[in-house]
Amino acid sequence: MTSRLALRQVEIGLGAFHLAIDVELQTGCVGIFGPSGAGKTTLVEIIAGLRHARKGHIALDEDVLADVENRKWIPPHLRRIGYVPQDLALFPHLNVRGNILYGAPKTVDVSEPSFDSLIEILGLEALLDRRIAALSGGERQRVALARALNAKPRLLLLDEPLTGLDQDRKDNVLEYLRLLRQRWSVPMIYISHQADEMADLCDEILVIRDGKLVVRGRAADIFEPAERPAWRLKRTLCVSPEQEHVERA
Amino acid sequence: MDSSSDLQLTANDGHAIVLTLVSALLAVLVDLAPGVALAWLLARKTWPGKSIVETLVALPLVLPPVATGLLLLDLLAHNGPLGGVVDVVFTWKAVAVAMAVMSFPFIVRGARLAFEAAGDRPEQVAATLGASPLRVFFSISLPISWRGITAGAVMACARALGEFGAVVLVAGNIPGVTATISTTMYNDILTGHDEHALLLAAISIALAFALILTGEQLLRRALP
Amino acid sequence: MKIGMLAVLFLLGALAAHAADVAVYAAVSLTDALKAIAPKFEAATGDKLVFNLDGSNVLALQISKGAPADVFFSADEAQMDKLQKAGLVDAATRKDVVFNRLVAIVGANSTLQLTSLADLARPEIKHLALADPRSVPAGVYAKQYLQDAKVWDQVEARVVPTQNVRAAMAGVESGNADAGIVYQTDALISKKVKIAFALPESSKVRIAYPAAALTHAANPDGAKKLVHFLQTDPDARAIFAKYGFIVGPPANGK
Repeated sequence: MTSRLALRQVEIGLGAFHLAIDVELQTGCVGIFGPSGAGKTTLVEIIAGLRHARKGHIALDEDVLADVENRKWIPPHLRRIGYVPQDLALFPHLNVRGNILYGAPKTVDVSEPSFDSLIEILGLEALLDRRIAALSGGERQRVALARALNAKPRLLLLDEPLTGLDQDRKDNVLEYLRLLRQRWSVPMIYISHQADEMADLCDEILVIRDGKLVVRGRAADIFEPAERPAWRLKRTLCVSPEQEHVERA
Repeated sequence: MDSSSDLQLTANDGHAIVLTLVSALLAVLVDLAPGVALAWLLARKTWPGKSIVETLVALPLVLPPVATGLLLLDLLAHNGPLGGVVDVVFTWKAVAVAMAVMSFPFIVRGARLAFEAAGDRPEQVAATLGASPLRVFFSISLPISWRGITAGAVMACARALGEFGAVVLVAGNIPGVTATISTTMYNDILTGHDEHALLLAAISIALAFALILTGEQLLRRALP
Repeated sequence: MKIGMLAVLFLLGALAAHAADVAVYAAVSLTDALKAIAPKFEAATGDKLVFNLDGSNVLALQISKGAPADVFFSADEAQMDKLQKAGLVDAATRKDVVFNRLVAIVGANSTLQLTSLADLARPEIKHLALADPRSVPAGVYAKQYLQDAKVWDQVEARVVPTQNVRAAMAGVESGNADAGIVYQTDALISKKVKIAFALPESSKVRIAYPAAALTHAANPDGAKKLVHFLQTDPDARAIFAKYGFIVGPPANGK
C-alpha cells in the first residue's frame, strides 16, 4: 500500500537553522537519511502537524494538510498520521494495553481481528498488563509501534526507531519492522542516521544534508557495503572523508 | 490579670480553627482549576504579554502580604470597584478570598514545573493518535503531572493556613466571625496572653502536620 | 464529637443574624477590657457587641474604605481625627472614654532603683526599649517626655526601637533591654516586669482613647448607647480601671 506525500517548497526555520525541500513521494517505505542536526526530525514533525513550516504546501493523497500562504492547517489529531518519536513517549500512567488502545478509532471494537493480529505480529500478548516502567528497550519499541498502528494511520513516521538498542535488540526489532512491512502494509517514513537499518527496509532513500535534499534514490544506488559489515555512503556522495559512514554501534 | 483560663479553648477559638481550615481548603479548591489551566498555558505556549501574566501571578509571593491585602481591600471594599458586585469584605468569605489570592502562585508553580518536567512529547503523540486537545489535557497532561500538581496544592494549603497580613486587612479580626488562628494568636500576644497564643501555635503545628502527612500519603501512591 | 460540635457552632455563627448587633472596631489594647464589658452591655440593653480588633491605624483604614462599623474606639486620637475630618464620625457622639499613662519599667528581678526620667540616663541603662519613636504613638510620647526632661540627647543612642509597645515590653522581659517605657496597661499584663515609676502628667502629652459613633453606622442607636455606656456605666468604668486605664470623671473630655 502506498500513498502520495507531496512537500511543495516547504521551508522550515528554527532560529539559525533552515531547511528547504520540494519533493513528491510515493511512500511504501521511504527512508530519510542524514547526520544529526540535518533537520530530519523537524521535517517529520511538520508532516505530523506538530510544528508549523515557515512556507510551503503539504498534501497527503487528496488532502491538503498545510498551506502556509493560504493559511490552511489541519491539526495533528485530524491528520491520521502516526508518529513514533525517538524517545517513544509511552504514557507512563497506562499499562501496555492502555497505551496501545489509546488511539483506537471509536468505531472499532477492541476484539477486532486487527488488534489481535497486531499484538501477534509484534509478540505482545504476554506484556499487555505490564507497566511501561517494567519493559525492556526492545519491548518498549514494539509497544510504541503497536500503539501507533492501532490508530489505523494512513502514514507512519518512525524517528530513529533503533537508536539506543544493542545489536541483538536492533536485529530483533528490525525483524518486526520487516514483518510489519509484509503483513500490515502501512506507508512508512523512516528516519535514521545509520544506513544499515534502512538499506533493505526502504524502497527509496532521501539524503538530507545542510538543510537541503542532496540526493534521492534506491538503497542500492546510494549505499555500498564496507569492509567490515557496515554500510556507508558511496564515495561519490561524500564531501569529505569525515563524512564516511559510522560503524555499527 | 486572669490567665487561669489561658490554656482552654473558647468557642471563638473553635470557630477560628474551623474557619481557618475550611477557608484554606476552599481557597485551594477554588484555585486549582484556573491555576492548573494557567500553568499549562505558561508551560506550553508563548504569547505577547506572557511575562506580564507571569509577573502578576508571582505578585502575591513577592509583595508583603499586607500590600496584597490592601489591594484586595481597595478592590472589594463597599465603595470600591467590585464592592457593588460582591459583598465579601469583613465576612468569612473574605478570609477565603485572601487565602486564595496568596496561595494561587503556589498552585501555578507546582503545576507548571510538573508540566515542564513531563515535556510535551506525550501530548504530541496523543494528538497524532487522534485525541483532541481537550482529551489530551485530561487523559495525558493531568495524569502524568498529578504529583507535581498535588505537591503544589499541599504547599498552597499550608500557605493559606498561615496567612495573616492579607486576611486581617480584608476580613478584619472579628472574633467568632473572621478571626483565624493567626489573627487570634497575634491578638493574644499583643494583649499579654502568651500562653494562650502558644496553645494556638501548638494547634497550628498539629494542623500543619496533618496536612503534610496527608500530602505525603497522596504522593506515596505508587507511580503508575 | 467535638469536631461535630465545632462545625455546628461555625455554621450557626455563620447563619445567625442578630437583630441588634453593634459592630465595634476597637484597638487591640482594649480587647480584654471590652470582652469583660460586653456581657454587661448586653444585659443592660439587649444589644450584642461584635468586635473587630486591630491596630487603630488599620481600623481607620478599613472604616475609610466603607467597612460596616458602628463604633470606632481608638487608641490613637490622630486616627479618630483623620476619620472625623473625612466626615465619617458623628462628632456629637465623640467622647474620650479612658486615658492611659506611660510608665518606666524594669525587669521583675532587676535591682535598679529608678525614680525619674533623669535616672534613665544612668550608665547602668545600656539599652532602653521604646516603641519606635518615629511612628508608634507610645514611642512618640515617650520621646516627647524625654525631650522635655532634657534627657533625650543622652539616651538616644541607647534606645532600642520596637515595632509596637508589646515588643518593647518583651525586650525588658527577656533582659535584652535594661529598662523600657510602656503604657501602664501593658505593664500590668506581664509578671516579668515591674513598674519603676509613672511618668508625670504633662500638658503636651495626652494619651486619650476616644470612642465615637460613625456616620454610616447600620445601628446608630446601638452605637450611641454603647459610647454612652462606656462613658458612664459604673461597672464598665471599674473594669477599665482594673485593667490599668485611667478613668476620667464621667461625661468629661471632648
